Amino acid sequence: MRAGLRWIRADLRARRGQALLTVLTIAGIVAALITAATLLEDGTNPWRGLFAETNGAHLWIHTKDRPQVVALRQIDGVEQATGPYRSAPVTVLQERRKAPAALRAMPVAAPEVARPVVAEGAWLDRAQPDSVVVERSFARALGLRLGSAVTVTALSGARHVLYVRGIADSADQGFYPEWTPGLIWVLPEKLDRVEPELGRSEWVTGLRLEDPEATQFVSQRVVVMLDEEVQRVYTWREVRAAMELDNRLLGTLLALFGIVGLVAAVLALANAAGGRVLSQLRDLATLKSMGFTRGQVAGLLLVEHGALGLLGIALGVPPGWLVTWLVLDTTSVALVPLLAITAGTALVVLVAVGVPAWRGSRTPPLPAAPAAPPRGRLSRLARLALLVRLPPALVLGARDAFSRRVPAFLTAFGLAVPMMMITIGLGVWATLDGFLAHPEQVGQHARLLVRPDKLTPEQAKALSERDPAVLQVYPGAEVDALVPGEARSIRVRAIGGSASPYPFPVVEGRMYADRGEAVAGQGLLDLLRVKIGDRVWLSVGGTPLIVRIVGRTVEPDLDGQVLSLGVDSLAAKDVVPPEFWGLALKPGADPAEVRDRLLAASGEGLEIQRVVNPAERLAVIRVVIVALVAVLALIGLANLLTASALGLRDHAYDLAVLKAMGLTPRQVMATLVMGTGVLVVLGVVAGTAAGSFVVQGLIDLQGHTSGVGAGIARPPSPLMLAVAVLVAVGAALAVALIPARRAARAQVPITAR
Amino acid sequence: MTVLKTVNLVKIYQNNHVPVPAVRGVDLQVDEGEFVAIMGPSGSGKSTLVHMLGGLDSRTSGEIWLDGKRADTLSESAWALLRREKIGFVFQFFNLVASMTVADNVELPALLAGASPKEARERREYLLDALGLTERVEAAPAQLSGGEQQRVALARALSNKPSLLLADEPTGNLDSRNTRDVLRLLNEVHREGQTIVLVTHDARVASLADRVVSLLDGQIVDDGKIVRRRPGRGGAGEVIDLR
Repeated sequence: MRAGLRWIRADLRARRGQALLTVLTIAGIVAALITAATLLEDGTNPWRGLFAETNGAHLWIHTKDRPQVVALRQIDGVEQATGPYRSAPVTVLQERRKAPAALRAMPVAAPEVARPVVAEGAWLDRAQPDSVVVERSFARALGLRLGSAVTVTALSGARHVLYVRGIADSADQGFYPEWTPGLIWVLPEKLDRVEPELGRSEWVTGLRLEDPEATQFVSQRVVVMLDEEVQRVYTWREVRAAMELDNRLLGTLLALFGIVGLVAAVLALANAAGGRVLSQLRDLATLKSMGFTRGQVAGLLLVEHGALGLLGIALGVPPGWLVTWLVLDTTSVALVPLLAITAGTALVVLVAVGVPAWRGSRTPPLPAAPAAPPRGRLSRLARLALLVRLPPALVLGARDAFSRRVPAFLTAFGLAVPMMMITIGLGVWATLDGFLAHPEQVGQHARLLVRPDKLTPEQAKALSERDPAVLQVYPGAEVDALVPGEARSIRVRAIGGSASPYPFPVVEGRMYADRGEAVAGQGLLDLLRVKIGDRVWLSVGGTPLIVRIVGRTVEPDLDGQVLSLGVDSLAAKDVVPPEFWGLALKPGADPAEVRDRLLAASGEGLEIQRVVNPAERLAVIRVVIVALVAVLALIGLANLLTASALGLRDHAYDLAVLKAMGLTPRQVMATLVMGTGVLVVLGVVAGTAAGSFVVQGLIDLQGHTSGVGAGIARPPSPLMLAVAVLVAVGAALAVALIPARRAARAQVPITAR
Repeated sequence: MTVLKTVNLVKIYQNNHVPVPAVRGVDLQVDEGEFVAIMGPSGSGKSTLVHMLGGLDSRTSGEIWLDGKRADTLSESAWALLRREKIGFVFQFFNLVASMTVADNVELPALLAGASPKEARERREYLLDALGLTERVEAAPAQLSGGEQQRVALARALSNKPSLLLADEPTGNLDSRNTRDVLRLLNEVHREGQTIVLVTHDARVASLADRVVSLLDGQIVDDGKIVRRRPGRGGAGEVIDLR
């Protein structure tokens, strides 16, 4: 035991660099996996936790008038109801920014169902009638703290100053800004004062169901029962989907990288352990001659190499935890996936090092028996190559590369897998760049949305058209439409006219060209289970809307559940005057500048919103890609060190012979570098090819499942790929060069074999 | 007392299904405190024999008795346990563990045999002191000369106080000065009562032993005790007698 520990310590000390590399690689992979698992799990977690904590409602109904709650409660499957609460739309003015909000009247006694859980401060109190409680994500987005003053403007234009008394969590709706308007709770009396006009407010009722799966059925009943009253219906599924928005994409990306990375890392570890064992066969035999048993040697190797893996796991868990904690701000890292990842990785690591350990333990205890590389004869090709006077270093090195088949394969494959992932990472990067460089390809032809605030819509349009950077001005409106069969609301975006259609990026089918035609995102097609060419029946505020879907667009918003059509396809009451003007800018124009100019020209009379590019929302992916590329490079490096150490070991005794044959030190060095170089080039090229082959499909697949739709992927540019390949091969050769140089210069004893 | 006994020991290698006999029926008996040199030309089977005696190689048939217990039927692990306690090996190419220091190399067998770190350290200090290697204790094997390495290997072989020291061409890779040093040490160890079986093809090396066993084509062709008259004070040197 002690003797074994002594040996392990000495061996680890002798290959500190490699050991460190192994630990770091495994740590990086484990951190990525944990982050991925938490992101994927956490995508649903905030909702699940919040829903349980707040005793949330499964179904929310917005109605024009106060509904008959008793009747709603009697629907089969409804357990409890909450509300109705009166809710009025207001605009919050905070630090010169305007944010849409809903003031919801709530009693002093928090309700049983869907009760907001106060995170900071306190709940509403009659002693402070001006106080409000703000939903947490909204408060954070606006920078509101306890005691902050909130200026709200009602539809009438009247301003009221309210004070934040509490900040609360709620599962009533998604997080701001993914879900608008933001949510503010006030006392009913205060709401009556801010918005006395009943016609400008709506009533919100929540239903808690006995079985969440019955939501669809119940919501249909509700829609039938309330009929024209219904403004908007949404279910817990939409709330959950809204809460997990970006995490899911990130999580999927990380999980993909993590799992493939784990495979690569384990291969690297197995390769490293195997290579080390191979180069230590003599030492192992010596140990056996001293009295180490087969089991002891196997245990020794397993402990040594396994310990590196386990240390990596131990080091990877806290960063993984920390990242999720910092990025997601959740204190609850799910324990089950964490344990599964830790145990799974440990198992895989032990299996990976177990095989070489077992092989090492079977070394005969005769230390004198040299572990020679398998002999190979010069192939006909090689002989031909020598005949036509190719440099001998090239021929010999290329032959050496394959003299050990399994390590050669592990090396090439071990480099190919990280390279493939790096290529995929570059593809994601290129796709994000594509989003930024061509926002019109993701449906963001209009870079600014102008809402007439104090001006008339015509004035706003005229002002916008006068700006030199503005290419075109599209009228637009967004309404919620009920899908009768589904009994839930979707977003209908009307922008441009059928005559001068807004250039939606249609990737399938065609653009709408007439009234009654529309294009939809993948998410909507999936939701309604319709195909291009199908007709859909919707209801917008009681008015039926029948459109034929003639094409599919790339739709980055709202999980792709958006129907886009021309303004003239909607009823006049919804679009005249237009709710906003979408401004398409001339190429090269800076949206921020145009915005400032328009604001100045209108005397702050306009509300101008910059369209947020999805790439900006996904900017964190770039950080992830860089970090993962670093980890993958470590894996590649680990493989390379193994290959080069093994190559040196196999050829240490040949060096003298090669020199005796008349090869110069430089040629000897070239032979050694060539031996690993061939494998490097093979692995890198194969990995890049495989990566560029799958990357577009993968991104489009992700796009499809996330509702954005296929057609967003951009392959990495040939230049980018060429640079990546050159950098990888160059770095690899540089790494192989150092030991080769040392070996070529060293005096090699011809004895000992 | 007999430390080592072999009865009709045979080793036949299989080379591409062609049997190649290396050792052909060796009967050998080594008593406690004896220094036996096994001599013979290359390919005479002497290394194979000594490897079998230490359990590094398996026998084809015949018996090996160590300290009165039969050893040839032992499993690989049991042989390892036996080696730990009773056998020390010195090889031609030293076979020091490259990643360990001199101190660790020497302490390893003692630790393996179950000595406490303190005991192992004391034993190591004693041995390295006796072999004149005290100042190289933290060096790596690669930093040592061949003679130094072989002395370390000898110290390592003696670290677990073996009842049998097996040496396979211990001077085969050394120059004459280092050969002399190593032989002097072996002689000293022998004088302290260590049983030694040494394989060599060098008559000068063999001349140091009490008894020389000559091997040819895997069979013992000669087994003779060397009687040496004690040289007198300022005497004329040693006279070797083959009986």
